[in-house]
Amino acid sequence: MSICRVLFILILQAIWNFGFSQGNAVQITIAPTFGHQTIQLFDSTFKARNGDDLQIEVLKFYISHIQLLKNGKVVLEDKKSSHLIDASEASPFLISLDNPQNIIFDELKFNLGIDSLTNVSGVLGGDLDPAKGMYWAWQSGYVNFKLEGSSALCKTRNNAFEFHLGGYLPPYYCLQTLNFDVKDQKMIALKVDVEKILDQIDLAQINHIMSPCEEAILLSKKVANAFNISAY
Amino acid sequence: MLAFRAANDALFVVPSNFPQPVYDFTKNPISKNKIELGRALFYDPIFSRNNMISCASCHSQFSAFTHVDHALSHGIEDKIGFRNAPALMNLAWQKTFMRDGAVNHLDVLALAPIGNPVEMDENIAHVISKLQAGKIYPRLFFNAFGDSVITGEHTLKALSQFMLTFISANSKYDSVMHNESEFTVQENNGYQLFTKNCASCHREPLFTNDDFMNNGLPVDTTLNDYGRYGITNNPNDSLKFKVPTLRNIEFSYPYMHDGRFKRLSQVLDHYTKGIEKNKTLSNELQKTIELTSNEKVDLIAFLLTLTDKSFLYNPEYFYPREIFSGSSME
Repeated sequence: MSICRVLFILILQAIWNFGFSQGNAVQITIAPTFGHQTIQLFDSTFKARNGDDLQIEVLKFYISHIQLLKNGKVVLEDKKSSHLIDASEASPFLISLDNPQNIIFDELKFNLGIDSLTNVSGVLGGDLDPAKGMYWAWQSGYVNFKLEGSSALCKTRNNAFEFHLGGYLPPYYCLQTLNFDVKDQKMIALKVDVEKILDQIDLAQINHIMSPCEEAILLSKKVANAFNISAY
Repeated sequence: MLAFRAANDALFVVPSNFPQPVYDFTKNPISKNKIELGRALFYDPIFSRNNMISCASCHSQFSAFTHVDHALSHGIEDKIGFRNAPALMNLAWQKTFMRDGAVNHLDVLALAPIGNPVEMDENIAHVISKLQAGKIYPRLFFNAFGDSVITGEHTLKALSQFMLTFISANSKYDSVMHNESEFTVQENNGYQLFTKNCASCHREPLFTNDDFMNNGLPVDTTLNDYGRYGITNNPNDSLKFKVPTLRNIEFSYPYMHDGRFKRLSQVLDHYTKGIEKNKTLSNELQKTIELTSNEKVDLIAFLLTLTDKSFLYNPEYFYPREIFSGSSME
């Protein structure tokens, strides 16, 4: 059943890719990885470089305000303001930007998380619906990035680690803006490497961030460092 | 009635002595069907994990939508909360919500009690699946939003619409302001004392400045509640709590964020002789307020003119028996 579904999605994507490959769209794929391994949640154990066995159970994050630039000027913008990327769904996540005039660009820019204006705009729909599980209940604001799992290094209940990164008010504004030089005018393959995120954290010391704070900003920067663009 | 229309709709009327509301109605245009849906949701215990606690459980109309008689409100399975439930009225004029301002918009207010383990202990995604499976809601959502597929956005917007109709502006105080009646000598003396000693924070006509202030309450060491500081982590916000409205205060007891005072006389005694001076105490309370016992009686007489019976007993806010009884007959 699920294999059929994955095949179906792949075929659909292939047809879609073909349809647009004639030239009127820029395709951005976003894939979570662990090193070179694509992440499949719930059923895999990952080996960290320090020998630690890791389970990753939740990986969800927002990408927003995607823009393409030429010489520092915005030439193309994503019509949809925010996308929720959920590693428990089909990977890679695909975002297509119409480019009927084949406008040339050399830079990709986007936000990791939700900006402060959106955070004070009341309830929103689609990927921003609070029912998507990325909104704090006890206080207002979106969770920009969620990573949950377990590691023997965490001396916590069930060895769990939980990172819910967000915060829209200074001094704990967690939003990160990322820029990448890009060459390919059709395909941009964006990856977020969880191994690189965890390499930067001492899980024995830091394993639980659940509210806007200094640590959340520091970790948000580390998450931003773990994004990369790979050549197709 | 002395009022003019706002938001292009007679369903939400700005009282003539009120400022323009803060709430942006363009993002949630008010309609009769959305208000009706919000009313059903407000009274439906489906929002709690065990389907026993509704919004109205802790926000009952006759007490100005607070949890009457409970210092600390209790929620699911009689678990005791951390604070006294705030009264709900004139919410369209409020910029932040909760005693500590944890909530930045009316539309997302309900998420806090839904998710709180001692209040409703649920999550909005599960509430939506319960609503979708229920008999009455797909139709009510269709009537309200033209879509029977229930979303968090629509659920919360409908709740906002019902709560936006909680306008209290028809007290004796208001009729005096409209020159339709007069204060008694005692009430008028109380009003002068109020203007001199209280009005800078409890600003007319909403009787709040919608700001956070430290009003000199000693910390209850069983709660260690530092208010706004818990949200901002800014030491300057320590012990600051939202200035509550004084409208309908006769019925919204007990008072303060932890409900420590049962009677208005205790509240006035606090302001005259109970202020604890510390770093974040509001400027307005640096100088001791002096009131004789007669003046206290007069001040309370004025505060009772803020009671709005037409609000407390408005049938438009009642439990919507007709909506729920229709469902049980199906």
